[in-house]
Amino acid sequence: MKKIFKYITVVLLAGGFFNSCETTEMNLRVSPNDLAANQADPNLLLNSIQLAYVSNMTTISNLGGQLTRIDYMSGRNYFNNYPGDTFNSIWSRTYSSAFNSEGSSDPSVGIWTNIEALKEIDEASDIDYSFHIAVGQTLKAHMLLLLVDYLGGAVLSQAGNPDEFPAPLLDEGQAVYAGALALLDEAAALFAKNPQATGVSDFFYGGDSTKWIKLVNSIKLKAHVTTGNLAAFNAIIAQGNFIANNEDDFQFQYGIRELQPDTRHPDYADDYTPSGANIYQSNWLMENMLLKNDPRIRYYFYRQVNGTPGALDANGVPVDPSEEELACSLAQAPLHYVDGGYSYCSVNSGYWGRSHGNNEGTPPDGFQRTASGVYPAGGRFDDSSFGNVGLGVGGGGAGIAPIILASYIDFWRAELAPEAQKAEFLRAGLTKSIAKVQSFGSLDSSADFTVAPKAAEVTNFIDSQVTAFNAASGDTKENILAENYFITLYGGATEAYNYYRRTGYPTTLSPNWELNPGAFPRTFLYPQNEVITNSNLTQKMNNSQQVFWDTNPAGPAFPSAN
Amino acid sequence: MKTKIKSVLTLLFMLAMQFGVAQSGNISGMVTDQNGVPLPGVNIVVEGTTNGTQSDFDGKYSISGDIGQSLLFSYIGQKAERRTIGTEKIINVQMQEDSQALEEVVVTAQGITREKKSLGYAVSSVGAEDLESRADGDVARVLMGKASGVSITSAGGMSGSATNVVIRGLSSFSGSNQALFVVDGVPFSSDTNSAGNFLDGNTGSSRFLDLDPNNIANIEILKGLAAATLYGTQGKNGVILITTKAGASGGGKKKTEITVNTSYFVNEFASKPDIQQQYGNGFDQAFGWFYSNWGPSFDKDGLAGWGAQPSIDENGTLAHPYSTTAIAATRNAFPELQNARYDWKPYDSLGDFFQSGDIKNTSVNINGASEDGDTNYNVNVGYLDDDSFVPGNALQRFNISVGGRSKLSNKFTISASMNYARTDYLSPPVAASRGNGSLGLSLFGNVFFTPVSVDLMGLPYENPITGGSVYYRNGNDIINPRWTLNNVKNSQLTNRFFWNAQLTYDINDNLNATYRGGMDFYNERNVNYANRGGVSFNRAIFGALDTYDNNNTIWDHYVAINGNYDLSEKIGMSFTAGATTRSTTFDQMGTASTGQIVFDVQRHFNFANQLPIQFTNRQNIAGVLSQVTFDYDNMLYVTGSTRTDWVSNLTSENNSQSYPSASISFLPTTAFDGIKSQEGLNFLKLRTGIGQSATFPAGYPTVSIVEQNTQVAGDDGGIVTNQVAGFKANPNLKPELISEIEFGFESKSFNNRLSLDFTYFNRTTKDLIVREPLSPSTGFTFTQNNVGKIEGDGIEIDAAFDWFKAQKRDDFNWNTRINFSTYNPVVTEQEQDIIIYAGSSSLFIGGNAAIKGQPLGAMVGTAVGRDVDGNFLVNDGGDYVVVEQDLNGNIPIIGDPNPDYQMNLINSISYKNFSFGFQINHISGGDMMSSTIATLLGRGLITETLDRENTFILPGINQTSGLPNNQQINNSTYYFNNVLFGPAELKVYDASVIRLQELSLAYNFPAKYLDKTPFGALSITAQGFNLYYNAYNMPKGANFDPNVQGAGIGNSQGFDFINGPSSRRFGLSLKATF
Repeated sequence: MKKIFKYITVVLLAGGFFNSCETTEMNLRVSPNDLAANQADPNLLLNSIQLAYVSNMTTISNLGGQLTRIDYMSGRNYFNNYPGDTFNSIWSRTYSSAFNSEGSSDPSVGIWTNIEALKEIDEASDIDYSFHIAVGQTLKAHMLLLLVDYLGGAVLSQAGNPDEFPAPLLDEGQAVYAGALALLDEAAALFAKNPQATGVSDFFYGGDSTKWIKLVNSIKLKAHVTTGNLAAFNAIIAQGNFIANNEDDFQFQYGIRELQPDTRHPDYADDYTPSGANIYQSNWLMENMLLKNDPRIRYYFYRQVNGTPGALDANGVPVDPSEEELACSLAQAPLHYVDGGYSYCSVNSGYWGRSHGNNEGTPPDGFQRTASGVYPAGGRFDDSSFGNVGLGVGGGGAGIAPIILASYIDFWRAELAPEAQKAEFLRAGLTKSIAKVQSFGSLDSSADFTVAPKAAEVTNFIDSQVTAFNAASGDTKENILAENYFITLYGGATEAYNYYRRTGYPTTLSPNWELNPGAFPRTFLYPQNEVITNSNLTQKMNNSQQVFWDTNPAGPAFPSAN
Repeated sequence: MKTKIKSVLTLLFMLAMQFGVAQSGNISGMVTDQNGVPLPGVNIVVEGTTNGTQSDFDGKYSISGDIGQSLLFSYIGQKAERRTIGTEKIINVQMQEDSQALEEVVVTAQGITREKKSLGYAVSSVGAEDLESRADGDVARVLMGKASGVSITSAGGMSGSATNVVIRGLSSFSGSNQALFVVDGVPFSSDTNSAGNFLDGNTGSSRFLDLDPNNIANIEILKGLAAATLYGTQGKNGVILITTKAGASGGGKKKTEITVNTSYFVNEFASKPDIQQQYGNGFDQAFGWFYSNWGPSFDKDGLAGWGAQPSIDENGTLAHPYSTTAIAATRNAFPELQNARYDWKPYDSLGDFFQSGDIKNTSVNINGASEDGDTNYNVNVGYLDDDSFVPGNALQRFNISVGGRSKLSNKFTISASMNYARTDYLSPPVAASRGNGSLGLSLFGNVFFTPVSVDLMGLPYENPITGGSVYYRNGNDIINPRWTLNNVKNSQLTNRFFWNAQLTYDINDNLNATYRGGMDFYNERNVNYANRGGVSFNRAIFGALDTYDNNNTIWDHYVAINGNYDLSEKIGMSFTAGATTRSTTFDQMGTASTGQIVFDVQRHFNFANQLPIQFTNRQNIAGVLSQVTFDYDNMLYVTGSTRTDWVSNLTSENNSQSYPSASISFLPTTAFDGIKSQEGLNFLKLRTGIGQSATFPAGYPTVSIVEQNTQVAGDDGGIVTNQVAGFKANPNLKPELISEIEFGFESKSFNNRLSLDFTYFNRTTKDLIVREPLSPSTGFTFTQNNVGKIEGDGIEIDAAFDWFKAQKRDDFNWNTRINFSTYNPVVTEQEQDIIIYAGSSSLFIGGNAAIKGQPLGAMVGTAVGRDVDGNFLVNDGGDYVVVEQDLNGNIPIIGDPNPDYQMNLINSISYKNFSFGFQINHISGGDMMSSTIATLLGRGLITETLDRENTFILPGINQTSGLPNNQQINNSTYYFNNVLFGPAELKVYDASVIRLQELSLAYNFPAKYLDKTPFGALSITAQGFNLYYNAYNMPKGANFDPNVQGAGIGNSQGFDFINGPSSRRFGLSLKATF
């Protein structure tokens, strides 16, 4: 027995001593689980920048859309609906990094720090990375403009310098606008040299610098239309080098892959599930398009049933209210809805969505509610078949995130054009938009296009809108333009919120369900993750602060809908 | 199983025949203590020979010896007795308590044994009798309530689920606060490697589960820093020193003894809510296939009666949900149900879903020694089979351990032990749920809010054609929990090997040198899968399979010189000087697949996409240590120690830390004889200790990184990203420093009937290593930094009283022990407004935060809006206003999870051969945000929601008008809009709980019945655990058990996210010695 112990122990001790050198190694500071800072690949950094930008654009578009009734907003109180963390991830992706919201894979992506890394690599390398830097600066500039539009200010002069500025000061909106325009000039100068884009995955323009220059100019147009700088706007228009045709549209293309990565349009991924649709479409938008007989309605929305409880079905027959599926179909509409003549709960013809502010629980209606259509989500074309959503159905999700389309710019031009020329741009915008939207029909190969709007119907529609516009005056006239603009912005509603605060149109937006929903947000709260860490930033107490370009009266006098 | 036990027993009988042949001796007798109670385990040797034995369970012994030789009887705490062998064959000895009977010897840091009276700090001991034959295979849970200052929280009631072990409260909020486990002198990994975080699923067991409580000889708990200094940084959270039976070195000669412990317990669902039986599925007393249970009554008549429901017919039946579903595939799969009717009545879904589980536990221990007593050995084999009351949850564990010790003739003593454990843990998925589906794929969320009229167990759960999940909702938009149970599984199979060897060389009588080496290696094989065909979660819709191994290796070396000198007649000195290294390598590797191709085949080839799982973390710690103790005349002891650690993951400027400690123990009862009396004070010790320790950061915090991810975008999955990390490296990071001072006394009085141990301690942690969130506009979102300070103090009291002290073995004996502890940590310095360090930073979910001036762990979340006078604000809909910041712009604090105190009352009563014991545990105060309760209320399930046909007005001020609220709302609106989906604040309850933790009744078979059997001793015990509890400040109908760690193992406190019900266990165990 003793011997066995002795031998075992001697063997173990010997093993221990051999091992002990490794256990005294005191410099194990480098992580084996990541790349070292100097191992970054510029092409792959640019991928992060682009994805961060797209994630931000789709998030902001949803927020802008909700406030302007292009999308549905849930919750009766504006302040509660948009708490301090609303902009957390957008903010982090702009300056640092946060999860990529596109698709199911959610690695961190970001803009600012990666551009700085690109600049460092460019300086140290013989290879010219000016294409990468130019793309980065363009996207960053657009981001900064939108942060000002939505928050009132942004960090610019002290950003990205933690040692010198651990608590960066917010720059005034105007200064950020100027800074962003300077970045755009810088980017344009780099693109002008037609730099190499070898090895780059350019998600937007396939490495084509000439198209990027059009985008740079278009973003400048966006800045000038927002601030009402007519001269600067016209100067760029005069050069003619901006997004004027659908083929130059600035958009992000989605795919049909479901997993790892999920490349589908996020609205498609939400709506085309085995258990039905998950998004409620905005009743205001659907009803407005239905009344206008807008040819895009079958592309934007897919109806799963031909009638909504409490409204008329597609054949004009009343549908019984249903407590289980649509509780508000039994409810008495409140006075502020009745007085304005708005649909409180149900829209005719099977358009099954929700009105602004509805905060009801979720009934079992996943196979009743109206789903995202073939534009821009890549879903089903509404051929009145009243079928269902499901995995892979319709266009499989191969839609787009519209960011700046040629049609949008026509509406900007309509806004700034002299009275006599406005109708021309309304027509151009509608023509481009409808053509683009209709081209998406082919994504849904199984649809029956016999009910699709014919060319003559489209022309009639456009004519009717232009005629009505020309015939109208005052608010009515403005409303026609604004409603058509908002309908056009479906899927990429970022600028709708700016337009609404800038002009107050359309005045026809349906009110909030709640009579007293609090003030309409003129800006969002500052990102909570910045507020709690930055001693130089104090959170706003309400949403009433106005952006520098928003010179309209304070709420509740403006805007008109509550 | 019965036959298994039988055959094991038969085998053991046969073994016993081999070993158990008692030595034939011509001297026999009985050893008793001064009260005449038989003393087992007394060492009896024939002086001058190697011949020796021990007294048995009944104090009896027999030994051979010649006339004229003398027998020496010795026992710890008793004066040695000598008897010369004469002609009498029977020598009965009554031993007397030594005047220094209280000189228990305890194992302290680094295996140094010391007299308890010389310690200047608090230690608690738990003996084998408190650990054996338990219904829980988890040693940490067995320790629950056994010692003051030790807080044990489970991740839920599931068998094998993780456990949180914290001594003296939290001292850090970024670093680990888990106590260090040291097994047979070597640090033992007690990691919990969960599959995900608490939001997306965190099943996983804690690795101290690999220890068999039946194989533990005793446990010493070193609570304070003065006690744990020699363990350096690892000992900063207190140390649980475990001596296994294999590691216990009982010297002396004894016969081979075999002990068999076998138990059978029933494992039951303890926290079944009291579900109301009056109303069913629906809203506003109208029927609908909702999640909620605010529908019509089960009575036909009345305002809420089902008679008024168009969808319920004359006979009280509904169209079967599988005939009205929108899913054509479901309608097609169940043609027989298409015209079926479905009864409108209450179903006991929750009761029927859970089953009655059982626990079978057997352990066999064999120990013995060589003829000369210089070599002894121990073999322990254990098997635990724990079938949970939660279907799909089971734990099986096999342990074997072999150890021994040998004193060699050449001044060497060698001891070694080797342990192997195989732990197989199976669990359904558990993730946070808030009463609206679940945040990750989870079983319990969907079970707990099953409406009363939904027949969970009667409805088919699987589409027989596709294998997909089917359920009552029209759009099939919630996953059927029974489908989850059958198609989503997490398993963790652990193979663990740990050994240690110690070699001691006696240089001379005063000096020895020790080397100890240990290796602890485990492999956790994780297989987590979900079949395709589910709903709501991509994992379940498309199917997923993750398989990966966690390999963890710890090498530990320790060398030391120990000395012991008498400097003068009255002054003694002992010292230890040593060095130690520890190397930990965690290596995770495996594959994650998604997109199952053929249903129900869980192999990677059957999945469309793969990603690697790989993660490595290596850390080395080296330390030098020394300790010196002076004692003066057995009444004053002064100890000083110091340790310096170096760590491998900090820069060389910051990678070392030294920490001294000192302690004094003074015994007035020895110093001043006058104060001591038999009927008054028998013993008094005053002690004080001061200690320091440091926390080193984990991971690789000093070097900047770029993150790389593949398969991020592109229809071919080919887009790879590089991203400058949001983490800002901090080369200046240094260790955080904890210091603690403690005072205390130990006393015995009234004939040693009353013993009292009191400790006050005060602890400060500075330079806290914090995962500090940075302003994202700096380019970084977080870093690790030394920020802030926590201060806290607490009290620990252990008292015991003998109501009746048996004079003879069969007399009535009643002993009561009480332990009490309290600790209040407060954040006293903090540069940032708030750091949410556990839970979620999404305020509607809630988290624990460090805020200057607040208790550590303050719970933050959305709150009810208040006006300047503190009145609740109500909106125009009549619901409370939800805010994310108070009027000062601060994030609302909604609770303090730190309990006021914890107390345990332990009673043991014995009479004749019966012994009876119980343990009552009381935790007073401490808040908990319970999603379980909110869900049961908000969904209209428990009896509290019965009063629902009236309207209510919430007390408060209308937000717009400033006038008192007068808006009427339904009971359902209150519970649904406000409690369940309103401010998190309304889910917070006082989590005080009183619990009957243990109840046991044992019978020891008298020796005379065993004479003719191979048994040396036989006892049978009936025991119950968690038989009753009452969280008396929580809604009664919820029957909620607040012993839950809802936000995962770690530093979170006070959250429940429907993490799993609580279990009750009771059964029988049998212990036999051969």
